[in-house]
Amino acid sequence: MSLLSNKTSNIQGVGLGLKRELIPQIQAAFGNESIANINFVEIAPENWLDIGGKSAKQLDWFVERYPIVCHGLCLSLGGLAPLNTAFLQQVKRFLLQYNIPLYTEHLSYSTDGYNGQQGYLYDLLPIPFTEEAVRHVAQRIRQTQDILSQRIAIENASFYVQAPISSMDELTFIKAVLEEADCFLHLDINNLYVNSVNFDFDAHVFLHGIPGERIVYSHMAGHYQQAQDLLIDTHGTEIINPVWALLAEAYELFGPFPTCLERDNNIPPLPTLMHEVNKIADIQNKYRF
Amino acid sequence: MTKNIPNFQQYQQAFTAYIRDPIGQPRPKNVSAKGMNIYKEIVFNNLFESVSACFPVARKVMGKRAWLSLIRKYFRVHSASTPIFRKIPEEFLTYLTNLEKSSSDTLPVYLTSLCHYEWIELLVSTMADSSPETVINNQIINVAGDLLEYQPAFNPTMQLLNYPYAVQKISPRYKPKEKVATQLLVFRNTEYIVKFIELNPITYRLIELLQDKGMTSKRALTQITNEIGNLPLEKVIQFGLEILNELKNQGVVLGVYNKPL
Repeated sequence: MSLLSNKTSNIQGVGLGLKRELIPQIQAAFGNESIANINFVEIAPENWLDIGGKSAKQLDWFVERYPIVCHGLCLSLGGLAPLNTAFLQQVKRFLLQYNIPLYTEHLSYSTDGYNGQQGYLYDLLPIPFTEEAVRHVAQRIRQTQDILSQRIAIENASFYVQAPISSMDELTFIKAVLEEADCFLHLDINNLYVNSVNFDFDAHVFLHGIPGERIVYSHMAGHYQQAQDLLIDTHGTEIINPVWALLAEAYELFGPFPTCLERDNNIPPLPTLMHEVNKIADIQNKYRF
Repeated sequence: MTKNIPNFQQYQQAFTAYIRDPIGQPRPKNVSAKGMNIYKEIVFNNLFESVSACFPVARKVMGKRAWLSLIRKYFRVHSASTPIFRKIPEEFLTYLTNLEKSSSDTLPVYLTSLCHYEWIELLVSTMADSSPETVINNQIINVAGDLLEYQPAFNPTMQLLNYPYAVQKISPRYKPKEKVATQLLVFRNTEYIVKFIELNPITYRLIELLQDKGMTSKRALTQITNEIGNLPLEKVIQFGLEILNELKNQGVVLGVYNKPL
C-alpha cells in the first residue's frame, strides 16, 4: 500500500518547474492543447514566500489554475546549526495559503558553521554518509514534519566529491534516513544518473534497491558533461537517452509517479520544453496500470 | 573550531570553510581536488550572480576586478542569515554598511549609498501588497478628500530616501567626490512599475512630517513656514497644495484618511 496521503493526490502526471521566463508563455498558451500535458507546476518557497507586486499576482494566477508543488532549496536538512524553524513556520503558512499539498527538500545541506555562525551558502552540499549523519538528518526531517503537520519528501541530491569518512554507500544512506524519519522519497532520476557516473556505480542496481512505496514525486533534467567521468547537474540542457531509459525503468518498477521537468539554465521557449514534458507523459501512459 | 561536535560535522565545517576561503583554508583531507574545485566555483559563482544582479551600476563603477574582490571578501567573512533568495542583496548591503562603519577601507565613499539606491528598487518591486488597496493602517482612504484639511494617505510602498551623494547620477563617468544632499522618493504604481522622483527640500520635509500620526497637511505646512522663517504662510500652503496634487496624480498620495482630525 502506498504511503501517499490523499492530500498529495491532486499532484498527478507531469509538472514543470516555474521559471520567470516561462510565466508569460504559459499564461498565453493556457487552455491550448499544446500545453495540456502540464498538470502541475513546481516552485521554490525561497523565491516566492511573502512576495508582493507583479510576482504575487502571477502566483495567484497559477494557484487558481494549477496544483502547486513546493520544492525547497535552503532548509539545510543536513546542516550543523539548528533548523530554521521561523522559516519553516513561514513555509507552513505559505503551504496553507496556497493550498499546496506537497513540500520536498534535498538530502543535503546549504548552511555552515564557519567562525561559529550559521550562514546560508545557497547551494546543495553533500552530507557524508555516516551513522551519525543518518540520525542527525532523520531527526531534523521529523522536526520539520512535526512543525508542518505533514510528511515531506526528500530528494536524492547530485554531488561531486565522496566524503572519505563515509561508512556506507548513498543508497544505504537514503534508505536509512527514509526509514528513520518515516518520510517520502522525491526521486531525482537525473541526480541518480549523474552520481552513478561521477562515482562509478550501476544506476539500475541502485534503482532496484529503492523502497518504491515511498516515492511520491520525481524530477527529470539535463546535465552538463564536463569529462567522461564527471557530470555537472546544471539543468541547462536536454535530457539524455540513458536518463530517459532510467525513468521508464523506474515507472515499470514502481508505477508512473508524478514527475516534474526542471530547467533552470539556458531556458528554451515553452514549445521546445513541451517536447520533454510530452515525452514524460507518453512514458507515463505506457506504464499506467 | 570546536572538537566537541561529531566527526561528520567536523568534516562539514572543513568542507564549507574551504569553499568560503580556498586560499586561506586547507582542502579537507583525502578529498579530491577536482571535486572541491567544482564546489568552490559553483557556490561562489551562484552567490556572485545573486548579489551582482541587484547592483549593476555599482559593479560597473567599481570595475570588474574590484567588484569581484569585494564579493570574494564578503563571501569569505559574512554569515548570511536569510534563506530567501531576493534578500541576498540586502545581506550584502548590511555587510557594506557595517564595513563602512568599522573601517575607512579603500571603497568609494558613495558605494553604500549607491548600493542602497540600487537595492531599494528590488525591495519596492517585491514588497508585500497591502490588501485591500483602499485600506491603509486599518483606516479607510477617501480618494476625494481635501488634501489640506486631512492627513494624506501615501502609497504603502513609498519610501523616502535621503542620500549624501547624487546616487541617481552615478555612472562610470560620474563618480562623485563632493557630497550633494539628495532627496528622493520611490514607490510602486498600480501597474507594478517602480518609480523614483527627485524631491526638493520642502517637499521632502512635508512628506517627512506627514508620516507622523494625525498630522494634517495644513499643520505640516505651517510648521515648515516657521522653520523657513522668511516666506508667507499662504505662499507655502499654495506650494504645498500643488505638490500634493502632483503626488496624487502620480499615485504617491492615494487620498486622505477620512475622518476630520
